[in-house]
Amino acid sequence: MTDQNKRIKDYFCKHTTRCTIEGVKKSKRFVGHDVLKADAWDKVTGEAVYPDDIFFDDLLYVKIKRAVHPHAILKDIDISQAKKVEGVVDIVIAEDIPDVRQFGLIIRDQPVLIAPGEKMRYMGDPLAIVVAETKEAAKKARDLIKVKVEELEVITDPFRAMEDDAPDIHPDGNIVITHHLNRGDVDEAFKNSAIVEENRYQTQFIDQLPMQNEAGVALYDERRGVINIWAATQWLHDTQADVAQSLRLSKDQIRIIQPTIGGAFGKKEDVSVHIHLAIAAMRTGRPVKLCFTREESMITQSKRHPITIINKTGVDRDGYLTAWETKFIGDTGAYASSGPAVVHKGMYHATGPYNCPNLRGVSHAVYTNNTYAGAMRGFGTAQGAFAYEQQMDILAEKLSIDPAEFRLKNIYQKDSITPNGQQLTHSVNAEETIKRVMELSDWKGGRK
Amino acid sequence: MQITFTVNGEERELEVTPYTRLLDLLREDLGLTGVKEGCGKGECGACTVIMNGELTASCLVPAPQADQAEILTVEGLGTRDDLHPIQESFVEAGAVQCGYCIPGMILAGKRLLDENPQPTEKEVRYGLSGNICRCTGYAKIIDAVMMAADKLAVEGSDSND
Repeated sequence: MTDQNKRIKDYFCKHTTRCTIEGVKKSKRFVGHDVLKADAWDKVTGEAVYPDDIFFDDLLYVKIKRAVHPHAILKDIDISQAKKVEGVVDIVIAEDIPDVRQFGLIIRDQPVLIAPGEKMRYMGDPLAIVVAETKEAAKKARDLIKVKVEELEVITDPFRAMEDDAPDIHPDGNIVITHHLNRGDVDEAFKNSAIVEENRYQTQFIDQLPMQNEAGVALYDERRGVINIWAATQWLHDTQADVAQSLRLSKDQIRIIQPTIGGAFGKKEDVSVHIHLAIAAMRTGRPVKLCFTREESMITQSKRHPITIINKTGVDRDGYLTAWETKFIGDTGAYASSGPAVVHKGMYHATGPYNCPNLRGVSHAVYTNNTYAGAMRGFGTAQGAFAYEQQMDILAEKLSIDPAEFRLKNIYQKDSITPNGQQLTHSVNAEETIKRVMELSDWKGGRK
Repeated sequence: MQITFTVNGEERELEVTPYTRLLDLLREDLGLTGVKEGCGKGECGACTVIMNGELTASCLVPAPQADQAEILTVEGLGTRDDLHPIQESFVEAGAVQCGYCIPGMILAGKRLLDENPQPTEKEVRYGLSGNICRCTGYAKIIDAVMMAADKLAVEGSDSND
């Protein structure tokens, strides 16, 4: 390895914080060696700086007044009492920021603040930004904000949301997106199958629950016209671009500095504290801090999609899959977030790691008044796994064959083609994995 | 009201309000940000300190209750250049991921080893049961505490020589 390559590797390792070359100087390579995490020393001594650990002398604290109903029209917002609380510096409502635009990861459907006449669509929707000298004052003022609403039907079930007479949560209707999948002749293949099995599966909301809640600090550098935001994000540049477009600023006016991140697991892909912090920093000219409580994080930020999966699967007499039809309906809650991509990926994984020549699929992301769902490890595939593995077990039982043998018959091999048309050209070890599991678990054919 | 207590070996005198949490007092007034807030409900263990020898969720302790107490936070255990064997073991065992639970885990490990210098793996699991690691790095965290027990045993025998 040349010196320059070593330097690059050293730099890469230190700056991705995933590894270090310290302590393994005898080796030129990392594989097969224990490598120590570069930032472990900071983390075991308590020196690592997470967003909530950043303080300024003249720091102001921000709290957000959130929706009072999951689906309602805001009729009036009264901040007169809240403004009288000692220590309150600023309370921002929608009329104060008329030029600010909506934001969102894929579809910009999330409002920065709900204005009178507009709808709150879930309990996390923001109505006002309260800025005060202390956390206590900010909290007290937030709780004194009075709101009048006109309640609408609350839709918690995506199937209700898709009915013709359901109220539209967003102007373009409740189905955010529809994806299709078609390969071969599914109807003919079902007709010629020995067994066809159709079942409906339901998964639930899951919070990603990183240990560190959403938190951040912002400081407006007026002379340069730059807003500095210290807050976690999983999409540094996308977040920067989204914050900039929302505030009608150029990207170079938004500087996002990543402190140490206390876990994310998909939850920190979405904008959380960033835009509210930027607005508070610009309006007050002072450093501002916003930390979500755990409850606020759970109510406000994304979840793993609950997905309804209807799988219809055919097999022939020899135990080979013949056709697979899937309906994959994701409850994306009040906002799209990553939903359009999650249900797309989930549908493409409908058959799991099993070969099937004839496929038909449809997937929807659907708005409801639940907390919005977005990214979480696996991005739609974890939900599908539950459903397709159940199908495999049920079919094996109906065929009276060993569920492991049934999987081995159908498992992906090199050159298998996935539902989205990708040919697997290398590193397909699924068969070996199943065999090893059978061996290690002393597999007895699934019988007691 | 005024309270006096010892933090990491140093006596401190501070003005507190009745509704200040010990967690905020340590983090905001004393700058000991190694104490973390995960849930604010005493469920996760991120805010763990050792108070009068016991593991304590500092988010559940009103600051006035810390009057006359002796408190240890992760900052009082060891420094970057002079790590405590438990901290060193967490680095070496690869027990640190996002790191947010680690100060609490380390203190829970210390409390356990103070009382039980050669714990079984089961005892380590029990000793850490009040602390959640969302990165699910438990296996290596348990390894780290076991490793620390060995290190401390060797150190102990050295100092007896």
